[in-house]
Amino acid sequence: MSARPTAVHGVTGASLDALIERLGAGSIAEKARRDALARFEELPLRQAIRGGRNWKRDLAKLDLSAVATFDPAAAELDVEALSPVARRAGVTIERFSLALERHRAAFERAFGRAVDTRDDKFASLALAFQNHGAFIDVPAGVVVDEPLVVGYEARDSALFPYTLIALGAGARATVIERLAAGDGAPFVCGISELVLDERAELVYAVDQRAADATTLVMTRRAVLAEGARLDVASAELGGAHSVSRLRATGLAPGAHINVTALFFSDRDQHVDIETESIHAAGNTASNTVVRSAGNGHGQGRYFGNIKILADAHGAEASLRDDALLLSAGAHIDSVPALEIAANDVKAFHGATVGAISEDELFYAESRGIARADAERMIALGFFEPAVSRFPLEALREEIRSAIERKIVSGTGGVTA
Amino acid sequence: MSERGLHIAGLRSGVAGNDILKGIDLDVQPGSVHALMGPNGSGKSTLAFSIAGHPSYAVAGGSVTLDGEELLGLAPDKRAKAGLFLSFQYPAAIPGVSVANFIRTARQALHPDDLTPAKFRALIFEQLDVLGMDAAFLSRYVNDGFSGGEKKRLEMLQLAMLSPKYAVLDETDSGLDVDALRAVGQSVGALRASDAGKEIGFLIITHYPRILQHIAADHVHIMMDGRIVKSGGPELANVIEREGYDRIREEVAASVG
Repeated sequence: MSARPTAVHGVTGASLDALIERLGAGSIAEKARRDALARFEELPLRQAIRGGRNWKRDLAKLDLSAVATFDPAAAELDVEALSPVARRAGVTIERFSLALERHRAAFERAFGRAVDTRDDKFASLALAFQNHGAFIDVPAGVVVDEPLVVGYEARDSALFPYTLIALGAGARATVIERLAAGDGAPFVCGISELVLDERAELVYAVDQRAADATTLVMTRRAVLAEGARLDVASAELGGAHSVSRLRATGLAPGAHINVTALFFSDRDQHVDIETESIHAAGNTASNTVVRSAGNGHGQGRYFGNIKILADAHGAEASLRDDALLLSAGAHIDSVPALEIAANDVKAFHGATVGAISEDELFYAESRGIARADAERMIALGFFEPAVSRFPLEALREEIRSAIERKIVSGTGGVTA
Repeated sequence: MSERGLHIAGLRSGVAGNDILKGIDLDVQPGSVHALMGPNGSGKSTLAFSIAGHPSYAVAGGSVTLDGEELLGLAPDKRAKAGLFLSFQYPAAIPGVSVANFIRTARQALHPDDLTPAKFRALIFEQLDVLGMDAAFLSRYVNDGFSGGEKKRLEMLQLAMLSPKYAVLDETDSGLDVDALRAVGQSVGALRASDAGKEIGFLIITHYPRILQHIAADHVHIMMDGRIVKSGGPELANVIEREGYDRIREEVAASVG
């Protein structure tokens, strides 16, 4: 067939048939895709991510019937070329659709180890319609110095990316996942799966800056073996309605999970972030730092859970969540939670929501800094403890600039 | 040219309808050092905040002019631009904003582009040296987790870096150990001895006379219950040192009665 295939619309059995016909099943079995679609249709929408009474945006009202679910020319995966050194060491970066065929053993060892879509509506949808993605495999003992960047850019169709990252025992890597969507891309629904073997160390950063019209529902799951260390840093700055759920599980002693999440909803944006650290074994540690801000009529919700299972003796966990309101119309709900079943653990959580303090403003103003500039400086500083935990100074600078624009954006309107 | 000096006349001010300052008159000339002393609750900090324009303090009357320019009614940053500096008794922490960034931003707001980045660096390192601080201080977040001594050193660093015409030091000595107090004294001394700083007029607000052993005052004023009840030379501080505020209080009571 030489003509450019036309787009497939909606998330139905017929559109999935068409997608499979065009793409082939890729790295996900055809039956697994069809079963996942059936689950998406059957599973109820959890009230938690559907939203509260006052929320302007509601996933239950999501209408995907007119959305192009696959347009082969419309989305791009941008994977930075590996250095010769990394390639010689056996590091793999592959398009997800080719991963099973080209790297079967490594792919099968990792795929599905951290993600269970059986009871998750939107993870099921992402699995069913997966149309982009990347597989990164760093073999045991290999240390990759250069950051590995995976960039997704959706243009005129929905993007269903699957990012699978596997680190063998003692491997070390930094992966940056960039998520962009143009004004014509209404929907992004994806999965990121991180599998860390013994003593592996992964720095995983998410930089989400989709356009104003996009709805995103991302599911991110990680499992850590003994002595592994995961540093997640996510910046959710774009989209009309952005839902992101991270769950990291320390499966064996010595696993260490650091989660940094920052989000900023301005104008009419709605950002909904969940993080969950599960201590499934003794002597596991987790540390979560969340910074968020609202401006204009932006709304946000953070739900942070620390779960310490009964056998997790000596687990240590902390969660710190601070939200800054920059306008009277902005609203952020913060819900930190602890579920502790073991009794010899250390757990701490704390949350604040508030405006910039008048004392800080006056102090800066008394130094000659005009009020608007003082507000910008203080608000930017508020994010700095989170921003400073991102890898790469260039990425940190981009995030600071994006935050600064949102601080000064005030109350313009988002289109969606 | 208009009249020089930080000139306070009939200043009445308070918080939430509560009159604290009941008519203050003070005239601080360029290059002079005035000490304003008084017991707790006499209104000293209210005076400092009212001059600097803190939004919680409502001025009920009077005027504060800086080299002829009326400050009352100006936003706090405009008062700083007129040449006023306030060293805070309790400086606010601004997490996430580094000392270097904060001072550079302030300097740029007050004196746009008058120092090259290299000169700014040279100047700030020189001042750090005077204060006995090392370069790591510059990358810390403003007052975040600072000890009392570090906070006051940062105030002095800003005083030196921002080149004001008049400086109000509010209880700069409170909570300082001997070393920190000496560092503060040396910093102000070095500033007053420099070409850039010799014209700065100082109003030093303090409860205890000990800071005046490090910064010599030309004039001493005693404040009680929102009024200046006695003014004199440096010897007045010695009276307070020896006999405390009670003797002055009795004197005032006797003269009123």
